[in-house]
Amino acid sequence: MGKRIYAGIDIGSLSSEAVILGENGILGYSVRNTGADPQRVAQECMEEALARANVAKEDVLSIVATGYGRIRVPFADREITEITCHAKGAHFLFPETRTVIDIGGQDSKVITLDERGAVTDFAMNDRCAAGTGRFLEVMATALETKLSELGQRSLEAKKGVPISSMCTVFAESEVISLIAEGKRREEIMRGLHEAISSRVYRMAKKLRVKKEITFTGGVAKNQGIVKALEVLFKMPVNVPDEPQIVGALGAALYARSAGPRAR
Amino acid sequence: MKELTEKLLSHLATREHEIIQARREGRKVVGYIPGGYLPEEIVIAAGAIPIGLVRGGDHSAVELSSSYICRWFDSFCRAQIGYGISGLDPYYKLLDLLAIPITDNHTRAISDVLDYNTDIEIFPFGVPHMKEESAFRYYLHGVNKFKEKAEEITGTRISYSKLREAILLCNKERELIKKISMLRTSDPPPLSGKDFVALNHGSFVADKAFMIGLLESVVTKIEEDPLRIQKRPRILLTGSTLAMGDSTVVNLIEEAGGNIVIEEFAEGIRPYWENVSTGSDLLALLAEAYFMKRVPPAWFRPGRERLDFLIELVKRFKVDGVIWYQLMFRESYKTESYYFPKRLKEEASVPMLVLESDYDPSEAGPMQTRIETFIYNLGK
Repeated sequence: MGKRIYAGIDIGSLSSEAVILGENGILGYSVRNTGADPQRVAQECMEEALARANVAKEDVLSIVATGYGRIRVPFADREITEITCHAKGAHFLFPETRTVIDIGGQDSKVITLDERGAVTDFAMNDRCAAGTGRFLEVMATALETKLSELGQRSLEAKKGVPISSMCTVFAESEVISLIAEGKRREEIMRGLHEAISSRVYRMAKKLRVKKEITFTGGVAKNQGIVKALEVLFKMPVNVPDEPQIVGALGAALYARSAGPRAR
Repeated sequence: MKELTEKLLSHLATREHEIIQARREGRKVVGYIPGGYLPEEIVIAAGAIPIGLVRGGDHSAVELSSSYICRWFDSFCRAQIGYGISGLDPYYKLLDLLAIPITDNHTRAISDVLDYNTDIEIFPFGVPHMKEESAFRYYLHGVNKFKEKAEEITGTRISYSKLREAILLCNKERELIKKISMLRTSDPPPLSGKDFVALNHGSFVADKAFMIGLLESVVTKIEEDPLRIQKRPRILLTGSTLAMGDSTVVNLIEEAGGNIVIEEFAEGIRPYWENVSTGSDLLALLAEAYFMKRVPPAWFRPGRERLDFLIELVKRFKVDGVIWYQLMFRESYKTESYYFPKRLKEEASVPMLVLESDYDPSEAGPMQTRIETFIYNLGK
C-alpha cells in the first residue's frame, strides 16, 4: 500500500501556492510571487512544497491546478476554478464556513457554500484592481509604509478619513492630496481599509451571506480589513493561519477526493 | 453537420460580392438593426435585399466609436457606430437604406450618430414599449411608413401578392429555424449551441432561398444522423445581444462542459416563435406578429412577459442552468438581472449566472472562471 499523497497548486495573478496533502492534513506548502512565467513558478512552487513535505514527486497520486493560471500547469491532472477550490479549502479549515470572502492580488470574490463545502453561489469583481492586493500595494507605497504594516497601523486611528475613489490610480491621487492637506496617515489608512471593506460588503449583499465567514487570499493577512469586515458583517470572521494557501489546499482536497489518476 | 455549416460559411464569404453584383444590376440593399422589429418581408416584396447588421464582438469597432459617442452605451450599439463610420463591416458600405427600430436610447444612438457622421440614409422606426391598442396603431403606422420608404428607394410598388409571397418565404425560414430549435428539447441535443447560433446568424445575411435550402438539409441531416453529443448540463443562454462574431461566451460554455440548448436575445437571435398569418390586411398582420405577439425584450414594461417566457423555456427545454449574458451599459438588462434569479430559483429551481461583456478580449479569463465554476456545480 503506497502513501496516499495529493497536491494542489494555485497560480494566482500576484502569488502562487502549492500544497502537499497527506491523509492527516497538510504535509508542506510553498508561496511564491507569480512573476511573468507562470509555468516556471508552478514547477518551482511544487518542488519547494515537496521538499518541505519531504515527499518524492513520484509519491503524489494526483495534482489539481487552480487559479487564473491553472491552464499553465503542464503536470496537473485536472483544472478546477479557484472559486470551487477556495470554498473547499475554507470548509476544510473551518467546517462551519458558509461564506468565503477571498481577496487576492487581482480580484475579489464572495462565495456561499453548503455544509459539504460545495459552492452554492458566488460574486466576483474583476473589473479593476479596486480593493485588491494590488490596490493595497500601491497605497502602501504612496503612504511610505510596508504592506505588512498597513493593516495594523490603520487600527491606530480612531476613525478613518472617507475615501471616495476606488480606482487605484484615482485613489492614489486622493491619498496624495489628503497627505498634502495634512491628514494623519493612520486615518488615511483606516479610511482606505473601510472603503475596500464596504465595497466587498456591497458585493456580498447580492448573495445570501450566512455565518460563519472565512476570509481567504493574501489580503486576509491585513488586520485592518479583517476588523473593518467584522464591523460591517456584524460577526467574527475566520482567518486561516496561512490565508494564501486556501485555494491550493482546496485543489489538493479535490485531487484527494477524486482519487489517484489513471496511469 | 460540419459540411453544412461550412457550406453556410462559404456562402457568407461570397455574399458581399454577390450583393455588390446585385447592386450593379440595380437592386437596392436595405440594412437593419436585428432586434426583431423590422419586417424583412417589406424589403423583399419591394425587390430589395435585406441585410441584418448582426456583426459584433469586436473590440476594435467599439474603440472606433469612442471618437463619436461617449462610453456609456451598449457595446453592440457602439460597435455598430464603429462599423458604420469606419466601414470595417463592409455591409455598411453597401446600404441604400438603414432601418433602425428604435427600442431604446442605445439603438437611437446608432441612428443619430450614423445619421450625423455618414452618408447612409437612415430610417428610424419607433417601437412603443407597451402592448396596447394605441401602441399597436403606432407600430403599424411605422410599418406603413417603412413600406412607403421601401417603395420610394426601389421605385417599385409593393403589391398584395408580392408581400404575401414574401411573408410565406419568411414564414418558411422561421418555421425551419423553429423546428431545428425544438429538436433541442431532447437530451442530449442533436446539434451544438454553436452550430445553431451559426445558422441563426447566417439567416440575417444569407440569400433567403439559399438559407431555406440549407435549413432543410440541416433538418434532414439531424433527423437521419443526429450529432452524438454527450449528455451534459443543459444551458439556456439569454441576454441583450448575441452578435455574429461574439463567440467567446458560446465557446467557453461548450468547452467548460455545458450544452447550450436554447437562446433568448433581443438582438442577434432571430425571433422565430411566431409566424405571420396571411389575410386581407397584410401590414396589420405583420404588425400583429412582429409587435403584438413578439415576446418583448427587457426594456418593455412590465418586464413580466419576458421573464414568464424565460421560465417557460427553462421548463420546456429541461434547462439545468441559465447563463445571463449582458453587454456593458445596457441598463434595462442589468435591472432584470438583479431580481430574476430569485424568481427562477423559486419557480424552476434553476440557478443563474450573470456575465457581462464590453467585447474586451481581456474578459475571457475571468469569464471562463465563472462559467467553469457554474457548470461544475450543475454537474454535481
